[in-house]
Amino acid sequence: MEPARIRNFCIIAHIDHGKSTLADRFLEMTGTISRRDMSAQVLDDMDLEREKGVTIKAKAVRMAYTSKAGTPYELNLIDTPGHVDFGYEVSRALAACEGALLVVDAAQGIQAQTLANVYLALEANLTLIPVVNKIDLPSAEPERVAQELVDTLGFAPEEIMFASAKEGTGAEDLLESIIARVPAPSGVGDKPLRALIFDSKWDTYKGVIAYCRVIDGRVDNKRKLRLMSTDFTFEPLEVGVFRPALDAVEELTIGEVGYIATGLKTVKDCRVGDTLTDDGKPADDAVPGYRPAKPMVFAGIYPQQGNEYPLLRDALDKLQLTDAALGFTPESSTALGFGFRCGFLGLFHMEIVQERLEREYNLDLLATAPSVEYQVTKTNGDEIVIDSPAELPPPQEVGQIREPWMDISVVCPDRYIGTVMELVTTNRGEYKRTEYLQHSIVQDDGTKKGEGRVLLEYSIPLSEILVDFYDNLKSRTQGYASLDYTFREYRAAPLVKLDILVNGEPVDALSLITHRDNAVHYGRQLTDKLKTLIPRQMFDVPLQAAIGGRIIARETIRAMRKNVLAKCYGGDITRKRKLLEKQKEGKKRMKRVGNVEIPQEAFMAVLRLEK
Amino acid sequence: MHIPFCTAKCGYCDFNSYVGHDHTIPSYTKSLLTDASLWRAAVGGRAVETVFFGGGTPSLTPLPEMQFLMAGLRDAFDILPDAEVSLESNPGSLTTEYLRGLRDIGFNRLSIGVQSFDDEELVSLDRTHSADEARQAYASARDAGFDNVNLDLIYGLPEQPLSKWQSNLEAALDLAPEHLSLYALTVEEGTPLARDVARGRTPAPDPDEQATHYEYTQERLARAGYEHYEISNWARPGRRCRHNLIYWTHREYLGMGAGAHSYLNGARFGMVLLPNRYGELVDESAAAQDGVMRHIASAETPPPELVMADALILGLRLLDGVDVREFARRYGASPDDVYGDILREFEGYGILERTPTHLRLSKRGLLLSNELFLRLLPEAVEV
Repeated sequence: MEPARIRNFCIIAHIDHGKSTLADRFLEMTGTISRRDMSAQVLDDMDLEREKGVTIKAKAVRMAYTSKAGTPYELNLIDTPGHVDFGYEVSRALAACEGALLVVDAAQGIQAQTLANVYLALEANLTLIPVVNKIDLPSAEPERVAQELVDTLGFAPEEIMFASAKEGTGAEDLLESIIARVPAPSGVGDKPLRALIFDSKWDTYKGVIAYCRVIDGRVDNKRKLRLMSTDFTFEPLEVGVFRPALDAVEELTIGEVGYIATGLKTVKDCRVGDTLTDDGKPADDAVPGYRPAKPMVFAGIYPQQGNEYPLLRDALDKLQLTDAALGFTPESSTALGFGFRCGFLGLFHMEIVQERLEREYNLDLLATAPSVEYQVTKTNGDEIVIDSPAELPPPQEVGQIREPWMDISVVCPDRYIGTVMELVTTNRGEYKRTEYLQHSIVQDDGTKKGEGRVLLEYSIPLSEILVDFYDNLKSRTQGYASLDYTFREYRAAPLVKLDILVNGEPVDALSLITHRDNAVHYGRQLTDKLKTLIPRQMFDVPLQAAIGGRIIARETIRAMRKNVLAKCYGGDITRKRKLLEKQKEGKKRMKRVGNVEIPQEAFMAVLRLEK
Repeated sequence: MHIPFCTAKCGYCDFNSYVGHDHTIPSYTKSLLTDASLWRAAVGGRAVETVFFGGGTPSLTPLPEMQFLMAGLRDAFDILPDAEVSLESNPGSLTTEYLRGLRDIGFNRLSIGVQSFDDEELVSLDRTHSADEARQAYASARDAGFDNVNLDLIYGLPEQPLSKWQSNLEAALDLAPEHLSLYALTVEEGTPLARDVARGRTPAPDPDEQATHYEYTQERLARAGYEHYEISNWARPGRRCRHNLIYWTHREYLGMGAGAHSYLNGARFGMVLLPNRYGELVDESAAAQDGVMRHIASAETPPPELVMADALILGLRLLDGVDVREFARRYGASPDDVYGDILREFEGYGILERTPTHLRLSKRGLLLSNELFLRLLPEAVEV
């Protein structure tokens, strides 16, 4: 189709503000999917996505729409990941579009992620169409939320659209406004090919399928292609479009969105953000903005049964084919045996990977406490980067440790400012600024009507928000606060490695890197918790927390006194043996460190430390 | 011989027993005898050293049936003249006359299920007799001429203080029985007690407290002249239970009756649990005359590694422990050949110890024996 009749757009929204439902309505209205085949939230087809209500991977669909004026258009909807861990993927999906529907819940108003997405969309020069959604809700306050969009983001009141995706209200107007307001793709047809990869997927038969937006030129399956970041070349098997199932076409031209079946073996060879060009007639410059995914969070993943290590390795290999952001290297722990150090974009990504490994590959896994990546200057001047407490050199060799800091923004009702502030400062955070998104209205009689909503900005060490920060934030604000974060910088800090010794032996999987001021407190908590989590053994087991060689906390698990079968006679032997088997099975699920059996839950204790 | 009938079911009991079926005892007795005749060939000419009537409550069996049973057993098997012939009994139903009758037909050992000498504790255990009735039963046994009497008692009841157990033990010692079987109250899966504990209606027995009771018992009974010879059993010199020693020394036995278990010709097997069904299947087996024992419900022939594990696990329950050379002779390998690393590890913990001839549990090891036993089981054993 000629570029003037093409519109490429995406929908950006805070989680649960109705993005997927709106996409469903568009698919239905344009007849892309018949009502009969419609299962709610068609674009979210991974089980996990439906459960968690977020889009994990970007997807795309082409819709044919004839405007009210009678002109046929090709609309490409590009779905974007709905979690901040996938910010880079979002930015690439946005780069493939000219416009975006900014969907805001009519009851909840602007949230942290809404803002983060708006900033990304503005960076990508997208035309934004603000949509107040869920106007059918009893608690909806469409005018108020519209005012918020005007005040906070500077939209003109008349730009704002109203819809109920659930009931279909306003959906057609939205399609019309996309045609009217979102620019047609620009680009030059006779220039060398440039196609932006905004997502990829692995297919057993076709290898890596690159989801592309053609910026310049055209692409078919007859010419050899080149990946501009690596100069890697390949012969494409097929090009096609999404309806939403893959549908092969002759070629994709300027402004079109579709796929290229590359035949490549792993998504690592075909990274999101890279540019495809014609190997025979390459473009001069790639589409700007490419960067390889950079893991921020690291954790050891171990099979609960040591003999499942090869299965875990195969599963990670396969998962990596479809998830370029996942990194892993073999690691061994004296406590947990053989496993892998895995790098993730964030905690959510880590959770997704772990769940997919367990569900799709039927593995029982144990994940160690997540760690960030530290930069260490050694006393001899060497610079090293570590992502596990085990890698931290002994204290006397450490000159300086630097840890990653994040910029975070929190949006919440103004009555929670104090509690959020407290949460952030107990986590070593620093206040930056407050902005009122909406003020409560002071009425004539002096009482206040409605409530104010604020945007709070802080800097905070990533390590402090890794584990339960978000949950704490949610519970302190009764679920009202939303959170967004981006990397800011590395900063030096007095960090120490806290070791836990069980029966005199350090248990590597229980070590953590922490701020010096928290070390004693954490050490006490850990030994306390472990005392209840590690069952009594045949002998007294001392538990110690230590920094360097210095013991800072100590507990003792008293030896068990009795584990005996009172009766064992002729009729009982087989039955009593079964009882012993059962006990034995129980012990198998524990990890043996020295002579001490440590249950899995003990390794999780590190995750649940309180400030 | 398993007699699976009781007048009441106790909350802690997980044995195969049925209440309200006393009227079926005569027909059940017939089934037992039919069963015995079926086993004659498999037992061959082997001499029977001990006969044990367990339950259930074997003392519910009327004398005529008992007479009939013993006569039948003597017909079917070569019961040695000096065989130990024991009967388990409950205090409530024992009269001197009945007990004399038992003596006359050859019973020479009586076990009385006293469980406690405290009436409140007896109620909490669902026992239907009183402490006085237990004393009377004991006196009747002596009157009837039983010179080898065991008392069963249970310790470590929920919230039972040591002092209460001490009084129980003294009451038992006052009677001067030849043998004492003393069991820590165990919450067995599927029992009313287990349900009460799960629902919080009864506190679970405290294992540390039970350990304290046990250690006290060891010390007290040693002073009273009893030999501690098995984890839960004490006896005057020469009065160890010969029947139970067969189990612990891993020798063969034939169990008959509903739910009875056997270890015979290398196989462990158990019979169907329901008494009526047992009777029907025994009859079918007898009618078919083909040597197929239809009343066997489950059977296994333990592989050599399991045979050795069983032998060691059972043998170590005895305080004398396992004779290392005899073990090697019987199983073709010494315990050290098979379990060397584990044995050394547990010697290190002070759980196992050695004499010049034997491997045995230490005093502390008796209470922690499961920790060792479960390690002795072969990997991935199908049971």
